[in-house]
Amino acid sequence: MASMEISQRMKTDKLTPVILPLLKKKPRVGEKIIQIFLFLSGAISILTTLGIVFELGKESLLFFSSPEVNIFSFFTTTTWQPSIGKFGVLPLVNSTLMTTTFAMLIALPLGLAAAIYLSEYASARARSILKPILEILAGVPTVVYGYFALNFMTPLLRGILGENNVQIYNTLSAGLVMGIMILPLVSSMSEDALSAVPRSLREAAYGLGATRFETAIKIIVPAALSGIIAAFIIGISRAIGETMIVAVAAGSGPAFTFNPLKGAETMTGYIARISGGDLAYDTPDYNSIFAIGLLLFSITLILNIISRRLVAKYREVYE
Amino acid sequence: MRRSFSLFIVVTVLSLLLAACSTAATLSPAATVAPTTAASNPTSAPVEATKAPEATTAPAASTAIQLPEVDPSTVSGDINAAGSSTVYPLAEVIADNFKKDGFGGNVNLASVGTGGGFERFCKTGETDVANASRAIKGSEKDNCAALNPARTPLEFRVGTDAIAVVVSKSNTFLTNVTLEQLAAIFTTAEKWSDVDPSWPAEPILRFTPGTDSGTFDFFNEFAIQKPLKLEKLDDAKKLALEAKNLQTSEDDNVLVQGVEGSPYAIGYFGFAYYNEQSDKLTALSIGDVTPDFDTAESGTYPLSRPLFIYSDASIMKAKPQVAAYINYFLTNVDDVITDVGYFPASEDALNTAKQTWLDTMK
Repeated sequence: MASMEISQRMKTDKLTPVILPLLKKKPRVGEKIIQIFLFLSGAISILTTLGIVFELGKESLLFFSSPEVNIFSFFTTTTWQPSIGKFGVLPLVNSTLMTTTFAMLIALPLGLAAAIYLSEYASARARSILKPILEILAGVPTVVYGYFALNFMTPLLRGILGENNVQIYNTLSAGLVMGIMILPLVSSMSEDALSAVPRSLREAAYGLGATRFETAIKIIVPAALSGIIAAFIIGISRAIGETMIVAVAAGSGPAFTFNPLKGAETMTGYIARISGGDLAYDTPDYNSIFAIGLLLFSITLILNIISRRLVAKYREVYE
Repeated sequence: MRRSFSLFIVVTVLSLLLAACSTAATLSPAATVAPTTAASNPTSAPVEATKAPEATTAPAASTAIQLPEVDPSTVSGDINAAGSSTVYPLAEVIADNFKKDGFGGNVNLASVGTGGGFERFCKTGETDVANASRAIKGSEKDNCAALNPARTPLEFRVGTDAIAVVVSKSNTFLTNVTLEQLAAIFTTAEKWSDVDPSWPAEPILRFTPGTDSGTFDFFNEFAIQKPLKLEKLDDAKKLALEAKNLQTSEDDNVLVQGVEGSPYAIGYFGFAYYNEQSDKLTALSIGDVTPDFDTAESGTYPLSRPLFIYSDASIMKAKPQVAAYINYFLTNVDDVITDVGYFPASEDALNTAKQTWLDTMK
C-alpha cells in the first residue's frame, strides 16, 4: 500500500522529499532482532574464550601452587614424569616443536606451490576439479590421518631408512602426515590471497614482457604476502594444537630427544592420554594437563599476535 | 551445478580407488572410510574371534555345579563391598548386570586395596563382601574371629589375574627371563647387553601400562619391588618411570603395536589380552615357568595372583541379597571376566566356590 502511495505521489507532484518521512515512520522490529542476534553470536565466542582462559588459569594456578611444583624447573628441566614428581615440560614442548617443524616443512612449500598453480596456472576446468579434492583432504577426520601415519607412513620410513633405525612410534612420521593434513588449509588460504591481487598487476607484468613464472613469483606472491603469512601462521597454530595424529603415531612416553626417528610424546598427546585415563582429581598429574593447556593456548595466542603484526606490516594496498 | 557435478565425479573416483585398495569393493563413498579405519585397528576385530578358545578351558557344562537360579528382582536392600582395586572392575560389571536384571537395591563398591577391604570386613565389620587379590592372612582371620558377632570368612575364587611379559616375534634372543633380569630390564639397564652380555648391545625399548592401571602396580610390586628388595612400592615405580625409552599407555593396542614393531622392544599387559595377540607376540616364560592357564591358576607362574571375594555365612543368611549377589557373581563371572581382562578361574576352583555357597545356604 505504502509503496503504491509513494509511486503515485511521485508521478503526480514529483515531490521527492515526501518519501523520506514515509519510510522513517515504520518501526523496524525485525531489523533490531536480527542485530541483537548477530551481536549475541559474536559475544558467545568471546565469552567462551574468556571462560576457557578463566578455567585454564584457575586450574593451572592450582598446579603451580602445589608444593612439588616449581615454576622455574617446570620450564628448565628435561624430565616429565608427574607421578614421581618430575615436572620438566621441555620434552613435551620439544616434541611438539619437532612435529610442527616437519609438518610445516611439508605444508608450506607444497601448499604455496599448489596455491600458485591453482591461482596462476590452472585452467578454470582444472581448478574446478582440484579445489574440491583439496577440500576433501581437509575433511578427513584426524584420527584417520593418525592411523595413516602409523600404518602407512611409519612402515614407509622404515623401508627407506632401515627397520631398526626407525621406532614404531616416531615424531617424523606424525609430523609428515600432519603436514599433509594442513596442506589444504595453507593452500586454500594462500590461493584466496593470490586471487585477490588485482588483475591489472598481472596485465602490467605481462605487458612488460614478464613470463608467467616471473609474474607469479616476483609480482603476485609479494603482493599477496600478508595473506600468505597469515595462512602460514594459522597452519603452524593448527599443527601445534593437533592432537589425534600425534596421540596415535608419535608415541606415548615423554622423551627429551632431538632424534625424529624416536618416539616422543607431545603436549597435546600427553593431555589426550592423561584425560583418557582415570587419574584421581586434584592430583598434580591431573592438574598438570591444565598447565600444559594454558601453555599451548599462550603459544597459539602469541602466534596469532605475531601474525596480525606481520599481516599489517606486509599489507600492500592497491587502488 | 557444474561444481557440484565435478565434486561428485571426484568423490566417486576417489571411492573407487579406495575400494580397489581394500578388499571390500563398495561403491558408496561413505563406506570407503570404514574399511580403512577397521583395517588400521587390527586388534578390534580379533576380540570376538578369540573368545572361543577361552570358553574351551571350561568345556562341558555337565561337570560344572549349577547353583539355584537367582532372580535379582526378588531381593532388595543394600550390598556393601570393598577391597582390591583389581577385583573392582570385575565386581563393577557384575553389580551393573545384577541391577540390570532387576535388583532394586544398591551395590556399594569401594576400591580400597585388598588389605583395606579386609580391614572393613573383619575389623570394623562394615562390609558384607571383601574383594581380594590374595588369600586372607591369618591375622586378618583373627580380626574376623574377634569381631562381635564373630565372622568366619568364606572364600570364593572368581578368577585369576596374570601378566604376560611380551616381546616381538622377531626377537630371537629372549624366551626366558628370571625375575631379577626383569627388574633390571624395566629399570636401570639401558641396553640388552647390560642385563646379559650375550644379548645384543641395543637399547631396550619399553612399553608398559600407564601409572593409573592396576597392572602397572602389580608388575612393579612383583617384578621390581620384590626382586630388588625395595622398601616401598613407590620406590619401584620411581625406578620404572625413570627408565629410558619408556612408552606408557592405558591402551593395550598401543603397547601391542609398539612391542611388535621392534625385536628390541619389550612390554607387559594382562594375560587375557595377550591371548588375543599371541599370533603377533611371544610371551616370555619367567624363571622357566611358561605362562598359561594352568601355571597362572596354580600360582607357579610368578606374575599371577588369584582373585577372590569373601563373605560370611551369617551375613549371607541374614541378608538374602548378599547370598543372591554371590550366587549371581559365581554363575555369571565367566561370561564377563575375559572382557574385563582376567583369566577365568578353573572349573574346579569355581566348583569349590559354588560348593561353599551351597553348603552355606543349605
